[in-house]
Amino acid sequence: MEPDEEFYELYGEYVSLKELGVCTAVSTALAMLFFYMAPRVAELIGVAAGGISITLGAVGATVGFAISLLLARVKREVKEV
Amino acid sequence: MDPLTVALIVLLSTLSCFLYIFIGILPGTDETATMAPIALTLLLAGLDPLLVLVWFVASIAAFKMADSIPVALAGIPGGVMAVPQVPDALVAKEHGLADTVMRKGIAASVVGQVVALAVSLALSYQLMPAGEWLRATDTVLGVKVARWFWLVLAGVVVLAVTSRSRWVALLSIPSFALLVQGLRSIYGRPIYISFFLGITIGPLMFDLLSMLHRELRKSYARRGPKEVKLARVGRISLNPLRILTKEELAHSTLWSAVTSILATVMSPVGLTILVGDLLREGSRDRVKGSVLAYTVRDAIKNATYIGGTLIPLIVIGQPTGPMAAGPAMPFFTKLENLGMTPRDYIMSNYDYTTIALSLFLATAIAFLVAYPVLVKYSRRITLAVFRRVPAEALYGLFIAIVIMLSYYDAKVAGIFGTLIVSLVSGALWRLGVSLGVLFMTLVAAPTLVALLTALPL
Repeated sequence: MEPDEEFYELYGEYVSLKELGVCTAVSTALAMLFFYMAPRVAELIGVAAGGISITLGAVGATVGFAISLLLARVKREVKEV
Repeated sequence: MDPLTVALIVLLSTLSCFLYIFIGILPGTDETATMAPIALTLLLAGLDPLLVLVWFVASIAAFKMADSIPVALAGIPGGVMAVPQVPDALVAKEHGLADTVMRKGIAASVVGQVVALAVSLALSYQLMPAGEWLRATDTVLGVKVARWFWLVLAGVVVLAVTSRSRWVALLSIPSFALLVQGLRSIYGRPIYISFFLGITIGPLMFDLLSMLHRELRKSYARRGPKEVKLARVGRISLNPLRILTKEELAHSTLWSAVTSILATVMSPVGLTILVGDLLREGSRDRVKGSVLAYTVRDAIKNATYIGGTLIPLIVIGQPTGPMAAGPAMPFFTKLENLGMTPRDYIMSNYDYTTIALSLFLATAIAFLVAYPVLVKYSRRITLAVFRRVPAEALYGLFIAIVIMLSYYDAKVAGIFGTLIVSLVSGALWRLGVSLGVLFMTLVAAPTLVALLTALPL
């Protein structure tokens, strides 16, 4: 990371719009993919699709979060005083 | 309570604790934006509403303990409720008392939550008969109006008047109600979740979309990484009774009891600021005053969240205050999979004793897990979170959950409905309108618009 690289302050945190876009796209794509896969999974395990859709969608978003940890850089420089 | 339910309460409280310790320590995590969508997801996934309430109470315990840790150690709030603690934490840090306020805050959180739980449950039990009367309807201008509506209206007006920009807040009440009802009439269904999520992420979306505007973007631009100074922590006793002085314990207990009741209609942030400032100004010693204010604010944070959730939930059945209409709103929302609100499900399927025991058990588990973890490892966790979790990953996760839930609510139109509601909410928030005003207007909108259109003017 360059010392004078430009970021934007959002909710008290410094973010890169490009990285935020990538992280949001990855989490959303996985959430919706898992959401749409839910009826098939529900059929396989023999339960109603409604609840499973939301649960799997949330799981997809969480997988997206885990992947995003590798895609985005931390913009905090921690100094111990 | 059967053994399986007890086991599930223990499991969910523990999981909730670990998740919200992490979320609490992360800077910039708004309470409504992080607590409501997850509770809503669990409810929509078919989990028993009482177990989701248990999850929610444990999350309050962990989140409100953890969000003040980055405040004490680095002067950075972990959540909106921790913002009022920043000035006192900086005074303490200047005088080498960062670890002192941190441990006092954690201990005061325990006191706040336990006192509020006892007060809220006892008061709710006494007031339960009044609930029937509040749910009855009267005819006003030819419109059937539930009596609780006047309580919500009074609450939203009080909140608007105490907003940073009171005139804009007051004007926004009928205008926002018309926006919501207009969109509902276009959808042809009483959509709720999309609008609720829209308000929740309003400030984030407004800032984010402002950054797409070339001129506005300049005001958000910063150079290089953000420097965070983390204070060192000495050895801390695990016994909470050794941490608080008699004065701090007495103030924490008293104000937790009082504010847990007031949070039925008043803003938790407002109460935290008000009481903390009163205590600090009342002390002759600046440092002692700041430490006392910081400590009691931590107790009030837990107390207002507990009281603001449980009293409307058990007694009134409607979200009468900013807490119930904000982070706890999923419990007052009619869900298709239940055919009623989770609140109604809990009250019709469980007796008072089971509800009270479940919530005390959740609190006990939450503190047994979170308290030693935070006291012993708070600095290490803060360091790991600050060094390893980029803000983009977290914001991306919450935006993804909001998009998915909006789609679930009203398909593609739901996503755009969320977008427009979030933009309007974010703009009003920027103009100084408390988001609580918008949450409560959302609840009052159907009756408010019916009354507005029935006015003989």
